[in-house]
Amino acid sequence: MAFYGLSTVYSVFLWRKGFRKDDHVNYLLLLAGVTLHTLAMFKRGLTLHSCPVNNLYEATTFLLWALGLACLVYSLLPRLKFLCAFTAPVLFTVGVFALMPSLDVHPLPGAKPDFSDWLRSLHAATILQSYGAFGLAAVAAAMFLMQQHDLKFHKLRAVLSLLPSIQRLELITLRLTLVGFLLFTIGLVTGQQLPRPEGRPYLSDPKVVWSALLWLVYLGLLVARLLPGRSTRRFTVGVIVAFAFLLLTFWITNLYSGLHHP
Amino acid sequence: MSVVVIGLSHHSSPVELRERFAFAEAKIPEALKALRESGIADEAAILSTCNRVEIYAATSLEPARAFAELKQFLVTVHAFENPLTDELYTFAEPQSLQHLFKVACGLDSMVLGETEILGQLKKAYDLALQHRHTGARLNKAFQRAFNVAKHVRTETNIQRGSVSVASVAVELAEKIFNSLADREVLVIGAGETSEKAARALLSRGARGIVVANRSYERAVALAGELGGRAVPFEDWGREFERIDIAISSTAAPHAILDRARLEPLMKTRKRRPLLLIDIAVPRDIDPEVNFLENVYLYNIDDLQSIAADYLKQRQEEIARCEQIIAEKVRGLLGARVPTDSAAQRRLSFAHLRKSVQSAD
Repeated sequence: MAFYGLSTVYSVFLWRKGFRKDDHVNYLLLLAGVTLHTLAMFKRGLTLHSCPVNNLYEATTFLLWALGLACLVYSLLPRLKFLCAFTAPVLFTVGVFALMPSLDVHPLPGAKPDFSDWLRSLHAATILQSYGAFGLAAVAAAMFLMQQHDLKFHKLRAVLSLLPSIQRLELITLRLTLVGFLLFTIGLVTGQQLPRPEGRPYLSDPKVVWSALLWLVYLGLLVARLLPGRSTRRFTVGVIVAFAFLLLTFWITNLYSGLHHP
Repeated sequence: MSVVVIGLSHHSSPVELRERFAFAEAKIPEALKALRESGIADEAAILSTCNRVEIYAATSLEPARAFAELKQFLVTVHAFENPLTDELYTFAEPQSLQHLFKVACGLDSMVLGETEILGQLKKAYDLALQHRHTGARLNKAFQRAFNVAKHVRTETNIQRGSVSVASVAVELAEKIFNSLADREVLVIGAGETSEKAARALLSRGARGIVVANRSYERAVALAGELGGRAVPFEDWGREFERIDIAISSTAAPHAILDRARLEPLMKTRKRRPLLLIDIAVPRDIDPEVNFLENVYLYNIDDLQSIAADYLKQRQEEIARCEQIIAEKVRGLLGARVPTDSAAQRRLSFAHLRKSVQSAD
């Protein structure tokens, strides 16, 4: 968290400077943060003998880990180093929220962790990785909107900054949304295969309904984007709104889900 | 022995005078030979460009005497009979080295921070080196100047950004499009600035150019020069389905493109961005079109304002560059060894030529 915090502070400086110089410091700060994050999750996973996604704290940190990792990989592409500056604030603020003690509910002594078989782990991992991809898509969409606004209103920052072209940012947003949608679909299909209490329909659980709604939202966004003549700006705004909705409602549906809190 | 400079540049003299003192490249070796044989300089190099004529000399003479002799040499070689007052400037060490470094970095250029001068300086040095008119002093000074230029280029923003309308247009296009390789450019009105912008876009990989002009013959001529195609002026609207960038510079007294005309054309473009560059006065394109989605309109004032901001940014870097230069000059003078030392003599001709090439 300390590295995510430092990276967030550093991002503010980069923002104020107008992203003029290709910067490796932020990448290294995030790399350090994600490395420690990976070690912590690995340690927790070894203790539980399963993928560490048993409660809201673990699920959130897994989501952030997926987002951080995707950001590090994408930042290796030319002119995408500044993805880190847009991702760090999300990692830090959501990370601080995840540290609330009430989210880290420990299983009862002797109780078997929920996600101990491979199908459950695959379900949880793909769903949370899809959230990470959606998050990074929202970050790229925010970069697109900022750059487009600067170009429209003739801000000098648009030409001085080393951000990628708006066409490229839009393409990245689309690709990440597609990847996220694919992972989300796999996660929902595997979730449907998991055993559940007798006579309980899959779609009666609040989180499943919420997930289905989210799936439809992203499907709608992608269909609208792929139709000829549709607005790119609306698509990028939609990607940001959808991820904000995901972040804000993820906790609530998880708390009320019987399937996720038997 | 010390390094001295005498010369005239765009700062000190008009072009009419600079052209009188200019050296043709073929005549430079001969002039250098004459300089050395006259005993004024032990080593010499001549830089002659459209903006400056300078002699860099390593001499054992007192600077005041060296300047008088060099001035006489210039006047005699060019058979110049009129009196000279402030047109010629002279520098003795350490200012001479400082000046050389500034020239190499583009700090003394008409367009601040431009890089063309570095190539010209390298060429001037290479010519003197080839004909064996340089020695330990000038070799070291020029080598260091090239290194300083490289250092300044990487450490400061002095060469960053575009300071001409044409290059700003290219830079904007690169901020909008993923690549310029597949982009088609429409030039409406074959003016000089639009031609320059079109050429700049082509040099950065734009796929093709379409030219529309009221005089179709002029459109055909320009399209031929740029390797594009000409269309009748009335038909330029039909090209909007294909093109990505439009540069307009007609002499029309009113807007030739407004929102009502562009809106239906944008529907045929399937979400592709369109960069409109209006360099006409009065303007050819109604500013309202900028409110359409995927349309990015820049007029001449916008482009000039960006270029001016870049220039301002470069000017803000001058102090940093001068600080670097002052340190490097101190370093060079501090590290100077006797010119007849064995180490200096070992600095072979082949090695120097190689290092000039690698400094590129």
